[in-house]
Amino acid sequence: MHLTETSVNEFVDGTLGDAERRDAERHLAGCAECRQLVDDLREIRRVAGELESREPPVRAWSRIERAIRLEQEHAASTGAPRSGSRRLEPSVFARLKASRSSVTWLAAAAVLVIATAVGIRYSVGTRRAADERAGSAPATSNATEIASAAAVEAELRAAESHYERAIKGLEQITSAQQNALDPKTAATLQKNLAVIDQAISESRAAIRAQPASEPARESLIDSFKAKLALLQDTVALINEMRKGNEAGAARVVSGLKQRGN
Amino acid sequence: MTATKQRPAIPFPSKEAWATADEFEQLYRQQAPRIYALACRMAGSPEDGEDLLQEIFLQAYRKLGTFKGDSTIGTWLYRLALNHCLDYVRSRQAKMRKLTESLDGQTTEPAARRDTPIARLDLDRALERLPDGCREAFVLHDVEGFDHKEVGEMLGIAEGTSKSQVFKARMKLRAMLTR
Repeated sequence: MHLTETSVNEFVDGTLGDAERRDAERHLAGCAECRQLVDDLREIRRVAGELESREPPVRAWSRIERAIRLEQEHAASTGAPRSGSRRLEPSVFARLKASRSSVTWLAAAAVLVIATAVGIRYSVGTRRAADERAGSAPATSNATEIASAAAVEAELRAAESHYERAIKGLEQITSAQQNALDPKTAATLQKNLAVIDQAISESRAAIRAQPASEPARESLIDSFKAKLALLQDTVALINEMRKGNEAGAARVVSGLKQRGN
Repeated sequence: MTATKQRPAIPFPSKEAWATADEFEQLYRQQAPRIYALACRMAGSPEDGEDLLQEIFLQAYRKLGTFKGDSTIGTWLYRLALNHCLDYVRSRQAKMRKLTESLDGQTTEPAARRDTPIARLDLDRALERLPDGCREAFVLHDVEGFDHKEVGEMLGIAEGTSKSQVFKARMKLRAMLTR
């Protein structure tokens, strides 16, 4: 008889009492299968404790920076300082003041994208949970099914509309700033956008053929997300180049290239 | 917090001097990789991790005035990030309670002996495939170094449940990584 999973894990964690530990050691001395399990769990624990930090995408800071500045502008325009907060100095975004109007535009688009992403994350999750609950019910009336299908359809249309607005805004920005990019990077961007546009077209075609297809809906949303992420990276790249931050720009370009592979 | 994994103290300017823009960016550059890793692992996906990272730093900006200097700024930010991740987890638990854990039926039979050590990258990817409950407990216990009592308090579960979730996570990871 082998050690229980609990005993093995407690042994790995070193939390067994003396008597239990000695019993386990005696068993392990004669059981290769349990020894292997102990070795594997120790290895998983060791590697887990050594997991490294992860470098976030370059666009993450650009999005945070813009959102903070928008908050500052909003607080300044309403004259309502937030309690408990320490306002960043106006010099914060001095580097971006050269093209004030377009920066505001960038910021607005960024916030739209943020709101959209968060909204979609929660609405899709809620919808999936609702679908699961509906699926587990013993019987569902036709009327409920029709209403549910209509709700899904409406939600998908709303999500599509949100994404399209965000994408359109970012496309206008990237298109207006296209000359800020070197031809090779611009070509990479266009190539990647074409691949994603193709995926969007195919997903739409699949939805037309099978309106209730969950994979097709997820594929469409995933394609929108991919396009948004690519355009956000492009805006981040334009900003890094404006700042003269070559290292930051190189990181974004590297990300764009990886995305294309 | 009695996390077993020691985090190096991060030197930072005094609280009166540090809240300028460049310093906030410096704080981000220093801390974002650690916070992003925590957020990705707790959320179970890089996409949600990125959203959480952004929300955490926006919240940090809003709460800068509440930093008293009792701990390092890194500790303060880590705590804020952890609380934000836990809020996210609780919110998701409430919304997704009915979702079945797709890997629950997965075999945990002893796997064939592997020839190479487990790679960190493989483990990080496998984490994303764990059910939410056991992944969260595993990340807090085996990755972040909290003990089961702390994990139980953070996730609102009993200490024994934290243990069983961590053990379940290890067995599932073993099944995934040693095939």
